[in-house]
Amino acid sequence: MPVSEALVQAKIPQDLVKDLGVESLSRTHAQAFAQAFLKNSIRQHRHHEMKDMLKRKALILGYARPKKDKSKRNSKKAKGLNARQKRERKIFQIKPEHQRYELFLPLHELWRQYVIDLCGGLKPTSNPQLVQQKLLKADFHGAIITVVRSKCPSYVGTTGILVQEFKHIFKIITKENKLKVIPKRNSVFAVEVNGFVSHIYGSKFEQRASERSAKKFKVRGTIDL
Amino acid sequence: MALQLKDKDAYQRLNYLYQAAHCVLSQSPENVELARFYCFTQRTIARRLVLRQDPSVKRTLCKKCCSLLIPGVTASTRQRRKNSRTRFTVVRCLSCGQSKTFLNDPDHCLWVDQPEAQLEQQKQPDPGPSIQKQPKNTKPDVSSKPSAAQSTAST
Repeated sequence: MPVSEALVQAKIPQDLVKDLGVESLSRTHAQAFAQAFLKNSIRQHRHHEMKDMLKRKALILGYARPKKDKSKRNSKKAKGLNARQKRERKIFQIKPEHQRYELFLPLHELWRQYVIDLCGGLKPTSNPQLVQQKLLKADFHGAIITVVRSKCPSYVGTTGILVQEFKHIFKIITKENKLKVIPKRNSVFAVEVNGFVSHIYGSKFEQRASERSAKKFKVRGTIDL
Repeated sequence: MALQLKDKDAYQRLNYLYQAAHCVLSQSPENVELARFYCFTQRTIARRLVLRQDPSVKRTLCKKCCSLLIPGVTASTRQRRKNSRTRFTVVRCLSCGQSKTFLNDPDHCLWVDQPEAQLEQQKQPDPGPSIQKQPKNTKPDVSSKPSAAQSTAST
């Protein structure tokens, strides 16, 4: 058994790396992948076993005429999920075991590259107004965000990586591995990139992340907290 | 000119979201929810601004639940055949069970790759390169599957 295990965990030989164009992952990465892979492939098996068990037993739970399955005809075509199904399946909820700060550091690094690329280098000489224009339409998932001002004083000073952005809410993961939900309304957030700090007025930002890219912003209204 | 620049921003954003989804999945392969959220955002942005995405991107997103399909992690890839000649690659999403079917046809050429498509959208640069510029976060598949999929999916 140990021999075969070693075979499975062996790295791809050097000469093959060039031919295949793939690289072997680091040990932890590979382990994480293997676990997820196994879990995904084994789950189906269990399901089948359960079904088999149920088949052999006589289970009569009242009789109902089998309805004509209308869904079967267009089962090939994806219909998407409606809101209730989304809520039931918890489509976007992050599980507690994934709420770890260090898991999101690469995401932040990626975001940094994205913003610097978006603003064309982001030198100290670049026009701040232009950068702000760009940042309005940019994506903030992965940014390190700080609450500067808020009507509720206990929010002030919270810092973390922005994980999800909803219509009225930012979901932030802090260094203490806690997922915090912060409402956008009545707060001011600060985003820092390469020493360039920009403030976001949450009350003006109350849209979905996707809608913001299409929306036009009024130049300057009165902003009060 | 201004319109073109605005589109470029949006494409950069789509590109970032796509990469972020890959990044999250490579960090923790079971965190499907967050990757799905990013892909969902990506899709809604593309929908709102009426941007066309490259087929290679579209083929890695589930149409039903918007999750990113990576063979082995969030999707299973199987070879099916109808009769002796026609063979299909079936990609099935593990979280919602929706499947995509691609015909294995080595001679198939996507519309985007054909020269006429380039002529048609002269004023707008091809979205392909900006989006699939560096999806380097895709993992090399550990379990070596028959890669007949590449005969069709290679774009």
